[in-house]
This record gives sequence, structure tokens and C-alpha cells, in this order.
Amino acid sequence: MLLHIGPELFNGLVLGAFYAFVAIGLSLIMNLTGTINMAHGSFMTLAGYLAFTLISHGTTFWFALLVAPLLTVIVGVVVERTLIRPLYKREPFYSLLLTFGLSLVAEEVFQLIWGANGVPLSPPPSLAGTVQLGFMAFPSFRLFITGALVVAIVGLALFLTRTRFGLRLRAAVQDTEMIAALGTNTQLLYMVNFGLGIFLAGIAGVLAAGMLGLNPTSGNALLMPAFVTVIIGGMGSLFGSIAGGLLIGFAISLTTFFIPAASEVSMYVLMAIVLMIRPRGLFGEEGIFG
Amino acid sequence: MSSSRLSRSSFVRSSTAAAVAGATIGIPTFLPRIGEAADTVKIGLVEPSTLVYAAEGENEIRGFQMAADMWNAHGGILGRKIELSIEDDANDPGVGAQKARKLIDQDKVVALAGTVNSAVSLSVSGAANSAGVLFIDSGGHTDDVTGKDCKWNTFRTCHSTWMETHATGFSLAKKFGKRFHFITPDYAFGHSLETGYRDVLRQIGGTVTGSDLVPLGTTDFSPYLTKVLDGKPNVLLVLVAGADFVNCMKQIDSFGLSKKVGIGGPQAELEAVLALPKEARVGYFGVEWYYKSDKVLGHSKLAHDFVRDYQKRFNAPPTARSAFGYITMDRLAATMNAVKSTDSVKVAHGLENTKFSSIFEGTAYFRKEDHQLMWPMWVGEILRSGAGGDPNNLFDITDVQPAANIEQTVAEKAKICTISYP
Repeated sequence: MLLHIGPELFNGLVLGAFYAFVAIGLSLIMNLTGTINMAHGSFMTLAGYLAFTLISHGTTFWFALLVAPLLTVIVGVVVERTLIRPLYKREPFYSLLLTFGLSLVAEEVFQLIWGANGVPLSPPPSLAGTVQLGFMAFPSFRLFITGALVVAIVGLALFLTRTRFGLRLRAAVQDTEMIAALGTNTQLLYMVNFGLGIFLAGIAGVLAAGMLGLNPTSGNALLMPAFVTVIIGGMGSLFGSIAGGLLIGFAISLTTFFIPAASEVSMYVLMAIVLMIRPRGLFGEEGIFG
Repeated sequence: MSSSRLSRSSFVRSSTAAAVAGATIGIPTFLPRIGEAADTVKIGLVEPSTLVYAAEGENEIRGFQMAADMWNAHGGILGRKIELSIEDDANDPGVGAQKARKLIDQDKVVALAGTVNSAVSLSVSGAANSAGVLFIDSGGHTDDVTGKDCKWNTFRTCHSTWMETHATGFSLAKKFGKRFHFITPDYAFGHSLETGYRDVLRQIGGTVTGSDLVPLGTTDFSPYLTKVLDGKPNVLLVLVAGADFVNCMKQIDSFGLSKKVGIGGPQAELEAVLALPKEARVGYFGVEWYYKSDKVLGHSKLAHDFVRDYQKRFNAPPTARSAFGYITMDRLAATMNAVKSTDSVKVAHGLENTKFSSIFEGTAYFRKEDHQLMWPMWVGEILRSGAGGDPNNLFDITDVQPAANIEQTVAEKAKICTISYP
């Protein structure tokens, strides 16, 4: 029996990488502005639908993978500037309620435009089928997703640590008032940061649509594991999100192997254990919301 | 300006006279009963308009609308127009029961119908029973609805899980082999499906190589799929439905399982198959009704007219869900007109064992002993691309199973279900 754990662990690694990716976008937005973006899943769904529409009109999957997230960013920035920005100085609860409402509205809008039924979105033919890894045959598209996520995470880390704008973003997370006093346009920072988070959600949304199904609620189904990932990893930490995602991936895969009926609850049990031992999460900063 | 104000003494006189008249001669038949405004009869629908079964719920509602409009064009129910009051059950049994009570208490419907999720069917059945109101479960399949939880007021249009598994189990074993692996949704519907298949395996001496209970709404099936081949099954039975079916089938394809093991199950709904990319459209499944097969529609003019009118109205093919809604509403209206009443007990008696023709070949009836609609079920192969120039024509119907061959007998049902009227 133990021989079969290898494939489960590997699958958990891939699954965890995906959750980590969604969580990083969520965490970016949460860290700087304190916005608990309950509409994050809806932005993922929107990107998936936009990719579906682009592909239906003859574009390639690769073009859609790039353009659909960018189009989603435009919608995200409009939402940020018109609806979320006025709530920055209020308790996080306000933005939570607003974005939750937005996700409900978005679900209805998706249903209105693309119908209640799901729509088919295939991965590119070059990534169809499986790759023989020796210990198991693994879907090529899932391996690609893992690779793409690693590249995106490394790119994001470089952006945050090696560019002037990234440094300002990180500084703003530490002390927004000070960075504003030093002459930085914090409103622009907020907007770019929100857009970056939505861009990551968009990429995750298109990849998820190729891997899973695409329907008006499909993004929201992935939101809860992402929130749990942020909580386990700790708010304010990119590395924490990665670690949290991987832990959840392993926990789900292993419980599915040993106690399938408990697979859904395993991530919540893990979250409870982490919070009991370390309330701020594994790599989180205390008092992120002041 | 004329005054129409009522004096206190005339009000007392009028109301006393009305009370005496009402008590003496009863409520005149021309006055509306519960659920009937002066010119309408209200039917309450509890359907999922959101979440995993939203598409299925939408198509059931369309079927109800088609039948209601057809009856309204022919005088409605007892000369009054049918009005549908629709509530979203949010795929939650608690919400379903709450909405059922709201439809009964506030909207004053004369009968309830609908549901897709089996757990919601059971909760609505209970709520309707408490209020003494007729309920026809159009789309919740679990055996319990017409099995151990059967009730005098509850009927079911779609097939029971027993019918689904016994219509498909034998032919899947014949086609692929007797070693079954289950992916089972962890609620009433999935449990009773697996029970049905285990009964088939018991009869043919088959084996269960593995069974995974997956929560409703599961998105990632990969942890379950990576261990399917461990037990060397002949066939992987996909028991999940709706959006979960789409997720599962896509991932079965991506893991290359459809090339290594037979794929099948109790039902593949057209809504879900349409949401699959071509490469993931594989397998042999039960089909509860289909819009493009002579084996299903036969020579029924009503069936062909229904398909034509539905496509014209909604610009989409009718699905089995549309048929459930249509048949349910049609039977409600026909029976209320036949018994000349909307009273739940009278209508329930009127539905029992009354044979009727509908939008499929042959006749059917709600069996008196358990209130299950006895109608045939079909088996078909999913096609990757639409056949006959119709991109939505995604099934090749290969077989038809008469109801008597696939449902438990009256004697078997008598051990678990007793219908007792108030």
C-alpha cells in the first residue's frame, strides 16, 4: 500500500502549487490594502470565460492564456477604483461584504452571458495526454501548470525584491503612511497591486478552466482552499502562501488515500492545528490589519 | 365625488350575514381555494437556480413552463390559468424545506414540484407532507423518495437510482467486465446508486475493486483518480452528476484512464456532456430521455412537437431535465382536471396507476404502491462530436430497458414502503 503513496504525494505537490498560486494573488491584495477579496474566484471565472470566448473565436490557447488575464485586470482595476477604493480606510469587514456581494452579482452576470450550463475548454493539443514519470503516468497539462506557476512565482518574487516598484510595494505593506509621506503615490500603488493580484487570479482561472470544468461558480469553488492556504501560511508572506498551498495539497492527497470521506475536512483540521500552535500562521506577521 | 365609506353598523350586518351564510352552505365553489387567485392556480417549484445543479434546474423549469403554457392554451386547470411560483433551493436541503414552507404558507400553492438534489427532494417531501400538500419530485433520484421515506403526498417522475443502476449495471458488466470501481458523491443520491450497483454485482458475482466517497462540489478528482487502477477494475463508474461530472470526466481524460479502463455510469446528462471538451466525451451511460432518438421518441407526435417547440423557444435542445419538468406539470394539470379538484388527497389518488402517453414512446404510470413513475430507461454511448449535423446530438442510444425489468417489484417495495393516507 505504501508503494502507492508516491503518486499521491506527487499529485499533492501539484495540487498544492495551484492552491499556492491562487493564494498569492489573494494575499497580495490582502496584505497591502486589507481587502479580503471574496470576488477573487469570480475574477478567475471571468478570465476562464474570456479565454473560452477568445478560443471560440479562433485564437490559440496560448494567446488566450495571456490576453484573458489582461482583460480581467482591466475589469479588476475598474472595480478597484470605483468600488473598493472608498473602503480602504474602513474596517476590512466592509470590503469583505462588498466583494462577497460582487461575487454573487458576477455569478448571475456569467449565467446571463454564458448560460447556467458549463462550457468546454480544452488544454492545447500539445499538452493533451500523459507523461510517464516512472512511478506514474501524469497529465502533461498538470505538469505544465506546475511549471508555469513556478515561473510566475519566481517572476513575482523577482519583481517584488529587485524592482523599485516592488520595493515600494513591500515598503507600503510595512508602513503605508510613511511611504506616502516620502512622496510615493500610494493610490497608484494600490491600483497596480490590485491589478497584479487579479492578473495572477486570471492566469489561475484560465489554467483551472483547462484542467477542471468552467461554469458560473467554478472559480468560487477554488476560493476556500486559497483562503485556508493564506491563513495557514500566514498573511504577509509570499513564502508562507507557497508553504501553505503545498501543505494543503499533501493533506488532501494523503487523506484521500487513507480516509477518502475526510478529504474535504482535512485542510480545515490542518488550519485549526496551525492556528492553535501559531495563531499568525506559519510565516505570518502579527497584526497585519493593525 | 361619491362616497363609498362603509358605516360601522352596515359592516357588522354584512359580515355577520356572510359568516352565517358561509357556515350554513359552506364556501361556494366559485370562490378560490388555497393556491388559487380568482383566475389562477399556483404550482410551487423548488429548483436549484445556483451552484452545481443550476443548469439542470433551469432546464426543469423550462419543461414546467412548456407544459404550463400548453395547458393554459387549453383552459389551464379547472378553467383557471396555471401560475408557476419558483424558488431557488440553493442546493441545500434546509433551504429547500424552508422554500417549500414559504410556497405553501405565503404563496398558497396547491402543489409542489421540482428539485434536482436528492437530499433536497427528501426535505421538500417531508415539508410538503407536514402541510398535507402534494409534491412531485421531478428530478431527485435517490431510492428513499419512493422507498423507505415514501409518503402518500410524494410522487417521483425521474427514475429511481435502483432503476438507473439496474438499467446500466448488467450491460456495463457484459461490455467491460465484472470488476467495478466507484467514484461516489457522498450524499443520499450517491449512496443509493452504489447500493444499486452492489446489488447488480451480487447477482452476477462481480467485485468492487474500490469505492471513493467524494464530497458534493469536489473540483479536483486527481487524488481519487491516481489510485483507480490499483485494484485493476474493468470499469470505472462515475456516479457524480452535474458540474462534478464535468470536472471528473475532464480529469479522467487528462489522466489517460479512458484508454485503460471502461468508463460508464448510471446517467450522463446532456447538460454535463455539452460542457465537456470533445476528448473527454467518452463512456456508456444511462439516459433518462433523449431528444434525438427514435428509440426514445418513437412515433409520439406529442414528443416530436415538444422537441420542435422547445428548440424554437429556447434555442437549445431539450434535455432529460426538460422532459422531467414537462411530464410532471402535464400530469399535475391532467390529473387535477380529471378529478375536478386541486385537493392533494384527491389528486394523489388520481395519479395512482393512471396510464398515460407523453413525450416518449409507449405509456407510463405512477405506481400505486410507491408512487414511482414506471417508464422506460435508455442506455447510450457518448459521442465525441455531434451526429447528423447537430452539434448537440451527443448520444447514440443503443438500448431501451422497460420499467418492469429495472425497478424493484411491488412485493420488494412493500417491505420498505407503505403508503398511508391521512
